[in-house]
Amino acid sequence: MNVLIKSATIVDSKSDFHNQTLDILIEKGVITQISKHIANPKKYQEIKLDNLHVSQGWFDSSVSFGEPGYEERETIVNGLKTAALSGFTSVATNANTYPVIDSSADITFIKSKSKGHAVSLFPIGALTKSGEGTDLAELFDMKNAGAVAFYDYQKAVSNPNLMKLALQYASNFGGLVMSFPQDSKISGSGVMNENKTSTSLGLKGNPSLAEELQVSRDLFLLEYTNGKLHIPTISTAKSVDLIRKAKQQKLDVTCSVAIHNLLFTDEKLTTFNTNFKVKPPLRTQEDIDALIEGLKDGTIDMVTSDHNPMDIENKKIEFDYANYGTIGLESAFGALQSVVTLKKSIELLTRGKERFGIKLSTIAVGSKADLSLFNPKNSYVFSKNHIISTSKNSLFENIELKGKSYGIIANNQIVLN
Amino acid sequence: MSELSVNHLLGIKYLNQKDIQLIFETADHFKEVINRPIKKVPSLRDITIANLFFENSTRTKLSFELAEKRLSADVINFSASQSSVKKGETLIDTVNNILSMKVDMVVMRHPNAGAGMFLSQHVNASIINAGDGAHEHPTQALLDTYSIRERLGSVKGKNVVIVGDILHSRVALSNIFALQLQGANVMVCGPKTLIPKYIDKLGVKVETDLRKALNWCDVANMLRVQNERMEISYFPSTREYTQQYGVSKALLDSLNKEITIMHPGPINRGVEITSDVADSKQAIILDQVQNGVAIRMAVIYLLASKIKH
Repeated sequence: MNVLIKSATIVDSKSDFHNQTLDILIEKGVITQISKHIANPKKYQEIKLDNLHVSQGWFDSSVSFGEPGYEERETIVNGLKTAALSGFTSVATNANTYPVIDSSADITFIKSKSKGHAVSLFPIGALTKSGEGTDLAELFDMKNAGAVAFYDYQKAVSNPNLMKLALQYASNFGGLVMSFPQDSKISGSGVMNENKTSTSLGLKGNPSLAEELQVSRDLFLLEYTNGKLHIPTISTAKSVDLIRKAKQQKLDVTCSVAIHNLLFTDEKLTTFNTNFKVKPPLRTQEDIDALIEGLKDGTIDMVTSDHNPMDIENKKIEFDYANYGTIGLESAFGALQSVVTLKKSIELLTRGKERFGIKLSTIAVGSKADLSLFNPKNSYVFSKNHIISTSKNSLFENIELKGKSYGIIANNQIVLN
Repeated sequence: MSELSVNHLLGIKYLNQKDIQLIFETADHFKEVINRPIKKVPSLRDITIANLFFENSTRTKLSFELAEKRLSADVINFSASQSSVKKGETLIDTVNNILSMKVDMVVMRHPNAGAGMFLSQHVNASIINAGDGAHEHPTQALLDTYSIRERLGSVKGKNVVIVGDILHSRVALSNIFALQLQGANVMVCGPKTLIPKYIDKLGVKVETDLRKALNWCDVANMLRVQNERMEISYFPSTREYTQQYGVSKALLDSLNKEITIMHPGPINRGVEITSDVADSKQAIILDQVQNGVAIRMAVIYLLASKIKH
């Protein structure tokens, strides 16, 4: 693949070319020249787009593609296409499948399904067998097959001893353990944040306390075990505080926040719209403010779309019965930019790679081209027409977003909208 | 002619003061009707109403059915035990199947909060919520406040305490909204485990001492403890609950004033109130039941008048 990108503004705070508008020549998937005006004698394909910006490829640490088992929600092939057109060159996929991805054979299956695509897929294996929270899965074997972390997607490991063992065991080989921040006994059958809105709607509340207890527990376990922990999708102000303190203590902990938890409060649920039924639940404005502060000061390491396609049969039903989740890849960049600056957005969309053992790419001559192409100024109202996913469960519908992806150049391929 | 601001009765929180006023005035008329020798009016001869009960109910269902029949509507009844819901049919499909038989209005009780609103968004019929999970039970709150108005002259400025299991109660929530809309002061009283943590954000007072609550109030609405909705015990024993939150005649007589006792039924005699309280002249429990028919007639009549044929 040879291509000449014309007049692209480079957004990469670590690159010498940061904030400069330049041409980028890519030959056989490798950046061969970056300068003001590059001639095109070999008549390579040229990319010239309105207000074109490029950055190193974006990474999402928590996406679900359904396959195997929930292909009606999403397939790996269409999921990767969605990621590419949404600007992501790397995704870590959850073991949110049936059967649960909990063995090296499963990891190999997922890897083989994603082979040859522009987007690189990094599977997360289940932490426990079948994700049942009883016994550890074969973590070492999965790591050797390519698993980048271990996580029972959105399921709390309720047995603290099991979490202790997981952190100890995985530290033998530098494995990254993820723990869903929710104490399932306290959250009970709560379906939304416990507050005024849940009270007024008569819906069972899931208190912040459920998350904070679990985060505290896991941080104590981390301190004891000297393991390596990633806490995905935190949602409360106190969680930010707890993790900030843990980082000051130099514990090996990272965390993420789902982009929708940065934009919406639980008041969105007043019409019982099941697209807003997400886990962790939408919280309060005070939580949002604390989460954004956590992003700014580095307590929160990365953002995720927590992309979770859900077929209409599991959404267009009574609120209590509806499944949790929203899709988010398509809207991720546009939504994030309404909360933080462009520079910070790009940082948050790329910073997680290292934690998940994914090689960082830089925009430099000689580097493999792993680029996201986008227009940060394009404002638009997100609608069903913007959805590439098989499932259409987006809580961003009818929300004005700022910034849109053009696509990616990665793995020697170009994928553009 | 005045009409309701809504096309469905999904909850009190979607009504305004004028709606309640209109419902009460219409109910006054129907209350007079149901006390005539011929208790029936021909108003809704062209209307078919389906009563869909996905959760057990005796009095609410009977009350609705009677209200519908006294308005001369055609009535069909459907309950979950005999339905295809158990065969995996979705709520929307179930209701649409019934509506395709030319039904104009649906009265629905459902175990899930928001089920009425969900249905109103997806099917083409007027929906009356007869109780959705722990969300709302609007006709109950209307008949309760109507009964207060009848007994005390008005609702405005009155102090009303709702006692018992607030956490699992749609009656409590609808009553809070209805009482506030009509200018009453509302307090909830019960063990803390049965009071939603953030209930004060709805503008109600919270009291755990029953005697203090009763001394404060003009009306006490005693709720039933909904054991069937509890997945864990929220208090150690019924005996201990009654010690703290049961109202006896002796307790009533020891207060500094005569308060009115309400209960949405069914009563657990000896638990939330003793028999001598239930049967005393301070209790308006059976008035509530009678007013329930008039209120439901009013609601059905007013909503039916908005249906465009």
